[in-house]
Formats: sequence, structure tokens, C-alpha cells
Amino acid sequence: MSNKAPKKKSGSFGRSLFGRLFGGKRELSIFEEEQMQSPFRTVIRNFRSNKVAMFGTIVFLIIFLSCFILPIFFPLDVTYTDSSQQNIAPGFSMLSVPDELKNGNAVDIAGGGTFGIGADKNGEVYLWGQMDDRLKEIPENMGKIVSVSAGLNHVLALDEDGQVYTWGYNRLRLDKIPLEMEGVTNIKDIVAGYQISFALTDDGYLYHWGNENLIEISPDAYQGHIEKIAPNATTAIALLDDGTVVCLATKDNAFQRIPEEIQGKVIDIASTDRTAAALTEDGQVYVWGSSDYGVFDVPEELQGQCTAIAAGRYHFTAIGEDKKVYAWGRNNFGQTDISAENVVSISNGYFQSYAVTEDGTVVTAGLKGYLMGTDGFGRDIFTRLVSGGRMTMTIGAIAVIISVIIGVIIGGFSGYYGGKVDNILMRFAEIVASIPFLPFAMILSAIVGNSLSEIQRIAVIMVILGVLSWPSLARLVRAQILAEREKEFVTAAKAMGIKEIAIIFKHILPNVITVVIVDTTLAFASCMLTESSLSFLGFGVIEPTPTWGNMLNGSQASTVIQNYWWRWVFPSLALSLSTISINLIGDGLRDAIDPRSNDR
Amino acid sequence: MVKYILKRLLYLVFVFFIVSIIMFGIYKCVPGDPARMMIDSSKQTVDPERYEQMYQDARERLGLDKPVVVQYVSWLGNMLTGDFGFSSQYRRPVAEIVADPIGNTVMLNVASMILVFVITIPLGIITAVKKGSVLDNVVQVGTVIGYSLPSFVIALIFIFLFTKLLPIFPISGVNSAGISGSGFTIFMDKLYHMALPCIVMTFASLGSITRYVRAAMIDVLRQDYIRTARAKGLREKVVIYSHAFRNALIPIVTVLTGWVISVFAGSVVIETIFLWNGIGKVLYDALMQRDFMVVLAMQMFYVVLTLAGNLLMDLAYMLVDPRVKLNS
Repeated sequence: MSNKAPKKKSGSFGRSLFGRLFGGKRELSIFEEEQMQSPFRTVIRNFRSNKVAMFGTIVFLIIFLSCFILPIFFPLDVTYTDSSQQNIAPGFSMLSVPDELKNGNAVDIAGGGTFGIGADKNGEVYLWGQMDDRLKEIPENMGKIVSVSAGLNHVLALDEDGQVYTWGYNRLRLDKIPLEMEGVTNIKDIVAGYQISFALTDDGYLYHWGNENLIEISPDAYQGHIEKIAPNATTAIALLDDGTVVCLATKDNAFQRIPEEIQGKVIDIASTDRTAAALTEDGQVYVWGSSDYGVFDVPEELQGQCTAIAAGRYHFTAIGEDKKVYAWGRNNFGQTDISAENVVSISNGYFQSYAVTEDGTVVTAGLKGYLMGTDGFGRDIFTRLVSGGRMTMTIGAIAVIISVIIGVIIGGFSGYYGGKVDNILMRFAEIVASIPFLPFAMILSAIVGNSLSEIQRIAVIMVILGVLSWPSLARLVRAQILAEREKEFVTAAKAMGIKEIAIIFKHILPNVITVVIVDTTLAFASCMLTESSLSFLGFGVIEPTPTWGNMLNGSQASTVIQNYWWRWVFPSLALSLSTISINLIGDGLRDAIDPRSNDR
Repeated sequence: MVKYILKRLLYLVFVFFIVSIIMFGIYKCVPGDPARMMIDSSKQTVDPERYEQMYQDARERLGLDKPVVVQYVSWLGNMLTGDFGFSSQYRRPVAEIVADPIGNTVMLNVASMILVFVITIPLGIITAVKKGSVLDNVVQVGTVIGYSLPSFVIALIFIFLFTKLLPIFPISGVNSAGISGSGFTIFMDKLYHMALPCIVMTFASLGSITRYVRAAMIDVLRQDYIRTARAKGLREKVVIYSHAFRNALIPIVTVLTGWVISVFAGSVVIETIFLWNGIGKVLYDALMQRDFMVVLAMQMFYVVLTLAGNLLMDLAYMLVDPRVKLNS
């Protein structure tokens, strides 16, 4: 120990500070201190003076606490997917309406899947939010734009001469104005839907183009009478000039159950993905379709005084005669938490609400963006990351506990009894150790896993990991106990007639527990790694339950690696940081327990 | 010595039997009836009586009508005589399926192993000699990071680097599609495709081996004979490379021999990511396709590799270091 003495001086200030703060004990000289301390305190002191290990501890604690506390605030809905929110880059720009559109300059505002578009008084067009490069290419030679509309990933704009422009998504012929519209100048309204575009003329004629496989509609029977069109992801409903509402779908669906009593009295329509709403002359709002997320719960105070309605993907907003804005429906991103007075116009993005007031302010609510982006199913990576971390760490921890229990028991008996028991147990350990780990775990989970529920499957993975990883610890414990069992205190315990099991686990084990702790720490990291590898290959925990491993499962494709970096960088970073920090802690603990290993 | 080897071999055979029983038991637990799967396609076309007849025939052909013990013995007999069964996915004997992939796996592993040793041994020696220096500390932290990172994360990072920033290597496959030419051209093309998986594999094992070499070297440098050599006034170079390194080689060579065997075992993760048609990929594909005859044969192959590797390692230890006694 003498060669350690100079080292201690360097950290003595911090230690004495620590000592005064927590121990309040008298300062001792180096030699006194050495004699006074229990081995355990020496270990803690050594560990604390190891900067790298302390850094690892802090990093690990931060990750650990984030994974166990944050899921409470960001609960995960494992079944949630949304096709309109796929592969969105990290950022919070979806509600960042440009300054040019504020202060009463906005003529028209429209929201799309992940972005917004607006036109100001000079006819200039502005885009904001998450969009790809094609959307950013605003056509140069447009006239003075008076109206805009945004779909999932394309936009429509109408200038004062009745000319329609479109750009954005370039498949499904969405990037071109159809031939039959050439020369038509009396367009009065444009609507961009989910991969479909509509243009409506003064005399009630409707043009539509885009993904007609997804949205099969036929407006032929109503051409010449259409006043307004409200599309959604599956169909479109139309308001005719006689105040009746029709569904343009060619097949039966829930939107065709239009309430009879409103026919002939409708002045405005809107539709979310699953429901449609109509506003009648007397200010009443009627909603029909599939009732979910509370879209049928029209606010009581709105009924009878509503003047305009608009719809997002799962929510509605409306203006009352009191010029207040009302919102109802799904509120997963706070899109219905909008409140504004003196409102003159409203519009909605898929998960955003916009309201323009008399003094020209644009009030916004709803989804701003995602901290870490979204994955290929439109799920928020951040919430999956924290919940997945909890899952990964739980599996790792329980697997390690199983392996420690088996390893300590077998190592304990083997070391204490020796002879035949030792021989049999150690041969057994060697058999288990000779089973190649990853292939065997893959086979087991492929065979056993298919007939199980999700929870059972996770339990099976924990058990497989635990049951296959104990032999190294058992050998370690055996070697330690072999050395301890010859000591006097064991002889004394035997002489007192203490049961052998008590001698092993109560008398000898506490003397070797430090070795077990170090090994457990390192085994925790390797269990997490193995679980992640298994899940990464698709044989561990499977979707939709997230773990760090299976979040990376979908990221093997080189297109994902190149274009959607956020889908693999964050899970990789989380996993790597935790295993690195755990290994640093383990190394630090080993050095603290056995200072000689410091030299190795 | 001979007695020890015989004892080890006997023990190896014993472990092999135990594991084979476990594996066969697991294989028997696979849900689904192989005989029914075999004749599944004709279910619609033939009448029930004929179908039942076909089913019984299939059972007989697969040996399923006999007791499990008999099935086990005949399976093991077939395995030992080189008949590893029949792949249901490729409709070919298992031995034929794995022939090519073994070559690919060995090629990849040998290349990465050479790289690993070329890098780690000098690095380990330098860090051991300059223990406590800045270089040593940096390398120490680097190795902790190296062995903490899962290999698939390293693979993702390298794919990103080599596709986005420096697109010089192909990221998957063994050969370019539709390549033709002389054997040499094809071989060079293979090497070119091997670059990225080889780099990733090398990176994944750098950390642990550097640490191992460093620890071995530090152990040796602490010995009395090193002090003696220095006291004699030998040059530091001679002390390190002649006196110390030769002794440090003992544990390193031991580990190396254990590894020679493992060149036959492919890395499932890396071969799957890079679509490198090796042993690991065969195992992965067989599991995905539920082709359990292949899986079973592969599993036994892996067990034999592990056992042989352990045995070789012990023998090498004994041969390299005469101080080691094995009979304890």
C-alpha cells in the first residue's frame, strides 16, 4: 500500500470536504485513516477518487432515471401508428408561422401533414414546418396567390386569375395540373387532401386528380351543383348548392349515414379521418361517422351559434357567433387546446389548429414537432426510446439477477464441498458454457416464443439470458470460496455447529461479495448487449413493444441509415452510452476493490 | 500428456452427447408436424383416405413412427456419418448448403483476425510500456468504448460513413450482381465486398484484445527477470521486445489458438447486416424460414467448435508454457 501514499494527497481536499459535510469526523493522518477504515469504506473512497468511474456513474444514473421517470410523463401507446407522420426529422417548426403572415398580413393559411402554408396580402406564399426538398421548391412565376391548400405532402395554390399551381409530392400525377383543366379560369376553391387534389369551379364543377386507388370517388352525378368539398384519407363529402350533403364514395361507408334532418339546411362541411361534420343554417353542428377520440362531443355552448367549422385529422375546430374558437376531438398533441377571441378565420393542419383574429394575430395550438423525430410508422422516437430503455434495462437486470442467484448457489456449493459435488457441478457449468450463446438463444426464442403472449415472451428471454450466463460467475465464486473455506472463522463456525448452508451463505459469502458485485455490474452490460443483439435480429422482444435493440431492427436498410439518421442514431447512442458507463463503473469498482488490478 | 488428451477427448464426447440430447429435445418441441408440412400441398387435391395414406408414408419416411429414443439414435448416427439431414427450404442436403458459406466465413474471419493482431499487439505493447501516459489513458478509454459498443452499432456507423461521406465500398453482398470473368476478377470483387464487414469486425474486437495484450505485457514487465535484464544494462528495446514480449506471447498465443477454431463460426449479426453469405447468415435464414434441420446441424456445429476451441486452448497453453501442469 505504501506506493499508493503519494497519490492520496492529490485528492485530499475533496475528501476532507466530503468528510466534513457528511461524516463530520476529525481529520486523521494518512496512517490513522488507513487503520480506522473498514474495507467497504476504502472501496467507496477509492471508487470516488476515480474520475472516469464517477463520470460513468453519473452518466448511467442520468440514463437510468430518464428511462424510469420520463415514461410516466410521456406514456407510450404501443399500438399507435400514423401514416401521415412517417420519418419526420427532429425539430419543432410545425407551428412556426413566419412573421410575414402575422399582423394581419395573412390572407389564407392551410395546414398539411407536417407543415403549413400561407399566403399574404401581396400574394406571396410561405411554407413552414417539416417538409422535403420538393415542397420547398415554390414555383417562381406564380401570379398573386389568393388561396392555398395543403395535403399530406403536396400543396395547391390559386392565384387571382383563377390559375392553379401545385408542387410537392411528385408521384400519382399529383405534381401536375390535369389536362382537362387547361384554360379553365373560373376556379373558386382548391382543396388538397390525402394524396388527392380537388379544384372547384364557379359553376359547381369538380376536378379531382391523385391517388384514385386509395380514394375512390365519383362526383359525376352532382357535377354542376357542388358548392364545397371536404376530403379525408378515405373518401370525400360534398356540399351541394341546394344545401344537401352527399358522400362521393363509390362504395358504401360510414360517411353515407348522413343525418336526414340536416339535408337542405347545410351551409358548411368538414371531415376528419373517421367522421364528417355539417353546419346548418341555425348554427347547429352535426357529426357522423365512427365515434372515437371524442369527435362527437361538440361543445354545448357552441351549438346554435356556430358560424364556421374546420377539421384536422382527428379533431374539429369551429367559430361561434361570439367570435371565440371552439375545438373538440382527439387531443394527443394538444391540438384542441386552442383559445382565441375575435376570431375571423380558422384552419387546421393534421394535428395543428390555426386561428386568425381581427387584429391579425395567428393563434396556434397542437403538434409542434418531435424531439427525436419519428420512425417508419409515424411513432415518436423519444417516447419509444425512454420506454424501450426501461424495457432493455429491466430485462438486463432480471437476467443478471437470475444468473447471479444460480451462479452464487452453484459456485458456493461447489467451492465449499469440493470433491464429487464440485466435479459434477463444474462439469455441468462447462456443458452450459459450451452452448454457443447467441445461436442457442435465437433458437429457443424462435421455437418457444411464437406461441406466447408478449409478456411471456419477454419473461422467456430474461430466463434464457439468465440461465445461459451463470457459469463464469459460478467459477469465480467457487475459486474465491475455495480460498476462504480454509480460514479460521470457517473452522470456528463449524465447531459451533452452524449449519453448512449458513456457513456458506452467511459466513463465507459476505467475504467474497465484492467480487460478485463487480462481476454482476459487468454482466449487466453484457446482458443488455445480448438482449439488444437478439432484438435487433428479431428474435428478442418484438414490435410493437420497444427496446433499444428492436428500435434499430428497422434501420438496417441503407436508405434509412443515410436519409433518416435520427431513427438509428438516438437508440444506438442510448444503448452505447449505457453499456459504456456500466463498464466504466464495473472497471472502477474492480480497481477500487483490488488496487493492484489498477496496474493491469 | 497422452493420458490427459485422452481424458479431455472422452470428456468432450460426453459433453457433446449431453448437448445433442438437449438440442434434439428442443427440436422435438418445435410446434408443427414435419410430416404434415411435407405433404401439405396435396391436401386439396387428393381424397381423405389417400391423404391419410400419404401422411403415414411421410411419417415412416421421416422416421416419426418410431419412439423418440430410436429417432434420436438414428439422427445422431446420421450426423456422425456425415449425413446432416435435408433442408426443407432449399430441398437439398444440409452439407451442400453450408459448403459455400463456410468458405466465405473463413475468408472474412481470417482477414479480420490478421488485421486485429497487426493492430492490437503493437498497441498493447506500447500502452503497457508507457503505462499511465496520455496515450495509454486515451487508449484505455477507447478500448472500454470499443468493447462496450454492440457490433451492430459499429456496423451502422460504418455503413453511414461509407455510404454517405465516403462511398467507396459496397455495403452488402458477396459479389457484384451478374459478375463474370476470370477467377481472379471474381476473387478481387469478393475482397472488395469484404472490406466493410471486415473493418467492422476488426473494430468490434479491437478493444478487448488490446486490453488483453496490455494486461499480459504489464504482468511480464513486473517480473524479476525484467529487472535483472535492465540491471544488466541491456537496451530498453531489447528488454521489451526480446525479454518481455516473448513471455507475454504465452497467453496471447493461447488465446490465438482458441480463435483459430472460431474462424469457422460466422458472426450472425455482422453477416446478416452486410448480407455476407456466411455460416451466421445461413443460421439466421434457417431460423427465419423455420428450416430446423439446418438449425439443428448448425447448432451442433457450433457446439463442436466451442469444445474443440477450449481443448486446443488448453493444449496450446501446455505446449507453450512448460510451467503449466494440467493434471491438477
